[in-house]
Order: sequence, then C-alpha cells, then structure tokens
Amino acid sequence: MKLSIRTGCALLTLALGATTAVAHHSTAMFDMQHTVNIKGTVTQFDWTNPHTFIYMEVPNAQGVQEKWGIEGMSPNYLNRNGWTRHTLKPGDKIEMTIHALKDGRKGGFCASVTFPDGKVMYNLPHRG
Amino acid sequence: MRVAMGILLLSLAAAGTAAAAADAPHAAAARSSPQGDTWASIAKLPDWSGVWDFDYSAAAPGGGLVRPAPPHLTPEYAAKYAAYKERQKHGEEQQTSTANCVPPGMPQIMAQPYPVEFLFTPGKVTVAIEAYSQMRRIFTDGRKHPEDPDPTFQGNSIGHWEGDTLVVDTVGFIPTSTIAPGVGHSDQMRITERIRKISDDVMEIRQTIVDPKVLTEPYVSVKHYKRHKDWDIEEYICSQNNHDSADPEGRAGFKIQE
Repeated sequence: MKLSIRTGCALLTLALGATTAVAHHSTAMFDMQHTVNIKGTVTQFDWTNPHTFIYMEVPNAQGVQEKWGIEGMSPNYLNRNGWTRHTLKPGDKIEMTIHALKDGRKGGFCASVTFPDGKVMYNLPHRG
Repeated sequence: MRVAMGILLLSLAAAGTAAAAADAPHAAAARSSPQGDTWASIAKLPDWSGVWDFDYSAAAPGGGLVRPAPPHLTPEYAAKYAAYKERQKHGEEQQTSTANCVPPGMPQIMAQPYPVEFLFTPGKVTVAIEAYSQMRRIFTDGRKHPEDPDPTFQGNSIGHWEGDTLVVDTVGFIPTSTIAPGVGHSDQMRITERIRKISDDVMEIRQTIVDPKVLTEPYVSVKHYKRHKDWDIEEYICSQNNHDSADPEGRAGFKIQE
C-alpha cells in the first residue's frame, strides 16, 4: 500500500473547508490536520445523502487486500461541483487522499481522487 | 460544523445597534408596501426567484473564515457554556443530534451549506430548505402568533413587507435548538430576520436573536446568500445512508460498513 502523510498550510485550508461544508456532523472523528493517500480499487460508490460513500480494496504492505470505507460530500454538493453518480464505479483504480479516522480503523473522509491519467477530482472544497 | 455554526453567529457589535433600531415597527412603510396577499400583489414583490446558497466567504468580515466569540451570556448560561466546553475536553459534545439526522431547527437551519428557495403564495412566504428537506412557513396575511404556540423546529413565523424587505418574527422553538454551539435558549427566545436583496444576486439576512434568560444583549448576525438561477432544490433524505452518529453525551460515531 502506498501511504504517505503530508502536512502544510494547503491542507489546513482543506480542513477548514471541510468543517464549513460538512453539514450534518462535525469532523471530530477525522484527522483534519493531515492527509493520507490510499491506492486501490473501487468496489462500491454510494451516491446517497447525507454523504456519498466509497468502498475500496487497498493492498497492505503484505499485499493482502483490506477494505476501506470513505465518506464523501453529499451528491447535492458534488453534482454542483463536477461529479456525477458515474464518476466512480466498481473496478476503477484510483488513488485517494483522505482525512483518516483518528481511531485507526480503515476509514476516513475523502479530500480528492486521482485517476490513472493524472486527473484530480476534488471532493472537499478546494481553493485554487 | 462548529466553524459553520460559528460563522452563522458572527457577532457584529456595530451592526447590532443599527439592526436593533431598524427592528422597530415601520408601520407606515408596511402599510404602503405590497403585502403579497393576492396574486396581483405578489407580482409587485421583488424577484427572489432561483435558489440561494449560503455564502461563507461573505459571512466573515474581510473574507476568510473567522471563529467568532460566543454571544454575551447571562451568568446562568455562561456557566452552562463553561460546563459544555469542559465536557468537550473529555470527548463529549463533539457531535450534535444532526449527526443522527435530527434537523437543527431555527436558527441553525438557515446557515447550512445547502441552498434555500423562497416561494410566494397569497398571504404566505414558504422557505424550501434543501438541508434535511425542511420547510419554513412565514405567514404574511396579518395574523398574530398563537397565544401559546407549540414548540417546533422552525418556530411560528409571521412576516410583513417593508418595501423590498421581508421582516420576519419567529417564536416558539423546540427546547433542544441552539443559538450557538453550547448555547441553548429559553422559551422566551425570539428571532427577527430582515431579508432583502443587496444586489441582484446577493440576499442578505440580518438576524437578531433576543432571549432575556440567555443573552444580555441582542445577538445579531448578517448572512449572505448567492443566487443560482440554474440550480434547483434537490432531495436530501438524511436517513438514506447515514454512517455518522452522536451518542447522548455527544461522542462522535462513524460506521464503516453497511
């Protein structure tokens, strides 16, 4: 599994964006100060309220597939920002930048998705 | 969420004084303004068509995100707020019941990161709120508040037009709604909103909250909403696929699997 942790002002901006835009709950359970990248295969994409939800199979360091569950912004927000319910589909190979759960379980909140061709789709509000 | 709520509750001290004065009845203006009591009268009301999205950048003076000071509280509610902040240090009060899909009610429902739409019918302005698929009914037919209104999420709203400004008075709120995070309200809370366009595509809502048991002075916020003529209010069924939760002490839960 490719796992990298980055910090910096840009990410703080993302974190602030998240707290303003996630309507129905606080981001207390996510590490909004840091991001983690996970790389794997989409198994399910729920285009639902109050949040979209992305399930991925991500190989760990031993090559064993682990299932991750990642919350995203609502379809109402995302479809006004370039996403559709077809943006992700089972089988898609993606790299996702997330704010991981603080409790260590394999979950988090999606900040952005990078596709194999290098295209980036932002999930959280993004400046610039 | 906490920042969002905070921004909503931006205390603009200077604006507060002005708004309090402006809230005095303008009987003459009201008498001479179309009140939307008939379809012909509605045609004379300002054009509020389209949907209006809460603008965070405009909510903070100078732009950017500002975490405002809490409102000025009575000793009783200042103590309650201090206890709330203390519980936060122990992992409680991280999350509200909105995480369980209970709508926040007034006033928080008017500062969600989702658009609202204003619908005019004779004697009534209806506010369709995308977040939690909520609705507010503002009666403009001259009726008074009920003597003893049942407490509701949106409260009981009556309004009148002063020129192009809709002035709304709301009372009768559920006990669990909050003025700001950690700041509840009493049965004496009253919310006044002055709603008007400040340009063709910007709506301003100047909101004044009074509650003699909780606040030592009126709590004023000014919120801006941006018009999107090509958007529609969309469905938002919070219980459709909710992975989040708050326990009774406000600890945050997150369910990964279905």
